[in-house]
Amino acid sequence: MSVKYIPVQWNPNKWYYDAALLAGVVLFLWVFIYLTPGALGHDRPINPQIHNARAFGACAFLMLTVILCIGPLARLDRRFLPLLYNRRHFGVLTCAVALTHAFYVLNWYFAFSATDKYAAVLEANTSYGQLAGFPFESLGIFALLCLLILAATSHDFWLKFLTPPVWKSLHYLIYPAYAAIVGHVALGALQDQQNLTFAWIVCVGAGLVAGLHVAAALKEQLAGDYEGGGGDWIDICATSAMTEGYAKIAQLPDGDRVAVYLNEGRLSALSNACAHQNGPLGEGKIINCLVTCPWHGFQYNVTNGRAPAPFTEKVPTYRVRVENGTVMVHRQANPPGTYVEPVPLPSAEGAV
Amino acid sequence: MKKAPFFVGYLPVPRDLRVFLWIICALLVVGAGAAGYAVGSTQDNPGDGAFRFDYGRQTVTGVIELTPLPLLHVTEGNDRIPAGRTLMMTAGGKAGVPDRAAPLEGQLATVSGVLLERGDLDMLQLRGGQGGLRAAEGDAPAVTPEPLGRWKLTGEICDGKCLAGAMRPGRGLAHKACANLCLTGGIPPVFVSTQPVEGAEYLMVTGPDGTAMPDAAYDRVGQFITVEAEITRHGDLLVMAIDPATMEVSD
Ligand code: FES
Repeated sequence: MSVKYIPVQWNPNKWYYDAALLAGVVLFLWVFIYLTPGALGHDRPINPQIHNARAFGACAFLMLTVILCIGPLARLDRRFLPLLYNRRHFGVLTCAVALTHAFYVLNWYFAFSATDKYAAVLEANTSYGQLAGFPFESLGIFALLCLLILAATSHDFWLKFLTPPVWKSLHYLIYPAYAAIVGHVALGALQDQQNLTFAWIVCVGAGLVAGLHVAAALKEQLAGDYEGGGGDWIDICATSAMTEGYAKIAQLPDGDRVAVYLNEGRLSALSNACAHQNGPLGEGKIINCLVTCPWHGFQYNVTNGRAPAPFTEKVPTYRVRVENGTVMVHRQANPPGTYVEPVPLPSAEGAV
Repeated sequence: MKKAPFFVGYLPVPRDLRVFLWIICALLVVGAGAAGYAVGSTQDNPGDGAFRFDYGRQTVTGVIELTPLPLLHVTEGNDRIPAGRTLMMTAGGKAGVPDRAAPLEGQLATVSGVLLERGDLDMLQLRGGQGGLRAAEGDAPAVTPEPLGRWKLTGEICDGKCLAGAMRPGRGLAHKACANLCLTGGIPPVFVSTQPVEGAEYLMVTGPDGTAMPDAAYDRVGQFITVEAEITRHGDLLVMAIDPATMEVSD
């Protein structure tokens, strides 16, 4: 789709996305930092540094929760796909908010001491053998390092440089990071709070992330695994299930996913993984004979998996056949960019 | 699902989808504000501890005793800190005054600084150098601690300075690393007892037989524990020499 490192350029949708994102973050922080001290009615206020550290910390937790919900939500209901589209900006902003939280903590709890503050944060509490009183700061540091790595490698340059599979596996770091943050909050802030509001928010947030991932995986299993027998030809679906302009996705025995499209009454199959960022090509639509990725709009010719010139991206293709009203795909992928003659869909013959 | 409007990032968003997205955006932004309020306005009360700058600078004279952390038995006080009081002391930041006080053990000294106060607990933060702590003229009366026997207490070990109001909140598990840092810096550890001992809810903590608080106790700072201790009265302050072998997490 592009020959440069900036295949996805600024466009109005991105501005709207970022504006909504910033509005949410600024509103959260403003309400927390400026509005709630008055509402608390304590005899003496919480130290502003601690209040601010909490505001940024809670904000980062919620942002990461939303980020992690977007993926499975988009898999469950494609109307959420646009939220995924610019998720990298969301991630980078989350990293900045988390970093601010860390600076407030570092320059308050670990300052004013003869010990260097960076050393102090690692050395002051070493009770690693116990749950209550565990040095939960270390979990936060781990998560912050993950977020920094992800933010630093979020640009498309790194995607090209590391190749999409490596980049994608690197970005799975977000899951250990989130788990660490839940632990960081549970073993830290939640240990002392008598009021359970934040504890509930953390539980519901983490539960939502886990629940949506399970739901999305279940849905895909139910919808996607038409794996038949152990032969070389894998059943995908009944011919009647195909819809013009769209694909059916199935998982092959080796774990790769294939997307079988119906285009002008004829069947073609491509790898489901977009060459850009492994986006789910099969959830895209055919626009003018070109499969269009739902994530960032890279396009591929449905018959050969090649992006239209001048672009050079290619995805693997698969052989397709129809037998007894069942669409089947050969489990062996063709090299990326291999032309495969489309197969007419029997029931649709003459209809299109 | 087949009919769902299709979104491509760089193309205008289809109309139905646009409405959906506006609703989601509005929900997220409003939700963010509501969450900010929900979390921010339900934080616990950090208590009334504070630096009492409003009292002005306090200057009193008394006898230095090492427990091993230094205490001052006030002999010449003022309205706020009368003679007969026993003061715990700290330097600025996360540091105590053991090195400055040690050479004056058993002698008269004049101290000056700002008071930290939380309920019955207080502590004097000394100014730096001679202005904060210096030898005073005169004969120092002997100080004799009065043993109160062995007790089993339940409560929490805190760093006395944050607890007294240097930080709000200044105790608990979320504050543990900070407390450890204060304690290693020489700030007196204070035990907050659930059951008052002879009327005192706050007791200064040491190790057995005139030693500093043992390392094992650092693992239990900020936690609700039960511990046995020899308690002695030093002027109007109780000091508990904990027996680390008896320390148990309490629930
Ligand atoms: S266009 Fe980015 S993943 Fe497909």
